[in-house]
Amino acid sequence: MLKLKKEPIKNVKLWIVLGVLFLLSVPWYLPVGSYKPIIFGLPYWGWIIILDSIAISATITYAFLFLWKVEGEDTNTKGDE
Amino acid sequence: MVQDLAFGGWSGILIMIVYGLIMLLIGFLTFLKNKNVRESNDEYYLGGRGLSVMVLFFTFYATQYSGNTIIGYAPTGYRMGFEWLQSVTFMILVIGGYLLFAPRLYVLGKKFKFITPTDWLEKRFRSKGITILGSILMLYGLGNYLLEQFVAVGQGVAGLTGGTIPYQVGVVFFIIIMLIYSWLGGMRSVAYTDTMQGIALLIGVFVLLVGSIVYFGGLPTATDYMQAYAPEKLGVPESNGIVGWFSMLLLVFIGASIYPHAIQRIFAAKSVKTLKKSFTAMVWMPFITTGVVFIVGIIGINAFPGLDTFESEKLVGMMANVIASQNALFYWAMVLLFGGIIAAIISTADSVLLTFSSIISKDLYGRYINPNATEPKQIFVGKIIGIISVAILLVIAWYPPATLYQIFVLKFELLVQIAPAFILGLYWKRLHTKSVFVGMIVGTILSAAMTFANYTPFGIFSGLWGLFINLVICVVGSLLFTVSRSEEEAVDKVIGL
Repeated sequence: MLKLKKEPIKNVKLWIVLGVLFLLSVPWYLPVGSYKPIIFGLPYWGWIIILDSIAISATITYAFLFLWKVEGEDTNTKGDE
Repeated sequence: MVQDLAFGGWSGILIMIVYGLIMLLIGFLTFLKNKNVRESNDEYYLGGRGLSVMVLFFTFYATQYSGNTIIGYAPTGYRMGFEWLQSVTFMILVIGGYLLFAPRLYVLGKKFKFITPTDWLEKRFRSKGITILGSILMLYGLGNYLLEQFVAVGQGVAGLTGGTIPYQVGVVFFIIIMLIYSWLGGMRSVAYTDTMQGIALLIGVFVLLVGSIVYFGGLPTATDYMQAYAPEKLGVPESNGIVGWFSMLLLVFIGASIYPHAIQRIFAAKSVKTLKKSFTAMVWMPFITTGVVFIVGIIGINAFPGLDTFESEKLVGMMANVIASQNALFYWAMVLLFGGIIAAIISTADSVLLTFSSIISKDLYGRYINPNATEPKQIFVGKIIGIISVAILLVIAWYPPATLYQIFVLKFELLVQIAPAFILGLYWKRLHTKSVFVGMIVGTILSAAMTFANYTPFGIFSGLWGLFINLVICVVGSLLFTVSRSEEEAVDKVIGL
């Protein structure tokens, strides 16, 4: 029988971090219409959004790997792959 | 969308036949290896709950990214400019949405042997109303999703073959292939073909990027052009763009992860470890999929300036056409691209159809119409109703009704209405069953009405308004009405882990 030892939804810190990154992932806090400097063809705010998205992916990866723990029998005898 | 592609002809037909044959071969090999596949729902619809990391990852990938990810997202990038960077973030958030429920649902799915998402609703609420309404919402949403794929595959084939193969023949050819391999091996066939199709999609996306950069110039060239001629697509968006962006992210975060065919893949995972690894790989895929398609759309601004909305829908076809005419290498690269687009569409359609059939055969037929039916009988009924539904959808795809067209647009707006029941039900023992049911109905009606009226107050999508009302009814109803002690104990037996 499988038992959940840890689940990501119950981790308050995770949701605070994700919440902040979520708010930063849309450029409401930057001056409308601004785009300079352009670095490698991407306006400065595009870099901010990309970096923020990388941070979101990293946080979600961390949550899946370390904040989700189960205990117990979890192999499928029927599994053929 | 891509009908007027001039290259193609015989090479297009060739690659289509090769694709079809490979898919059939995969289906046939799966059948030979697993002859008992049609004996039980577990085997047919979930691949015996034994999908490994690689297969599970690719079936998630090829299912989440459809043909529209290439042929629809590039034009959106073209029209919106850098604001469309949101397509990277929202694809990440789809996977983030699984953090809300996948860990718990996986454990429950193992414990109670869930096959379909409805199994969970039935176990949790034991309410005929919620089970049937949930099933109908899922079937309706999935049906329209399937319809969209059928329309897209026809246009893709017509584009790929330069019109040599008419739209209808292309659709029928791929649907027959899809039905055969799904029937031969169920979820296993679908997942194995998804692996091949996912790889084709990735190759296609990169081939398009390389071709665009080599021929039209890279991102710096495009932004130079935008500075001079389209600064509004380069700068930080204005407030209505910001609101649309936020509401898109929110809707996708809560809604897209509960696509029924995605949920079935949680049940089909071999172990927690496989599921974790697949999710963590998926969370990085937007950068090399929607991110790349976004760049192609931006390059398009410089390559084909001044297209209106309708013309811009053909952007990928126009770019591929020019790139293909450069030399033999690029010509074959573009043939690969269109193969990748078709693979992306078929891989989404097959998964949707399998889930569609499972809900009909197990949830509606097996539970209410003929509770004594054996599992092979249920699977058989699912296949037959699957064909009938496909036939009806094809008629609609070819003869779109002029007046009621909007009812075929509703997908996500309806699917998302099961989210409160689905997610809150996992954690909240006092969630009040009747309030959940009323919330689902009101949310559905409101979203549908607002979609028909094209009414989006404050720039927030109709599906999100419906979801909001739905959620308020669920929460307020549960706080106002008490749940009986016996009921609470029964729920505790299910979700008290």
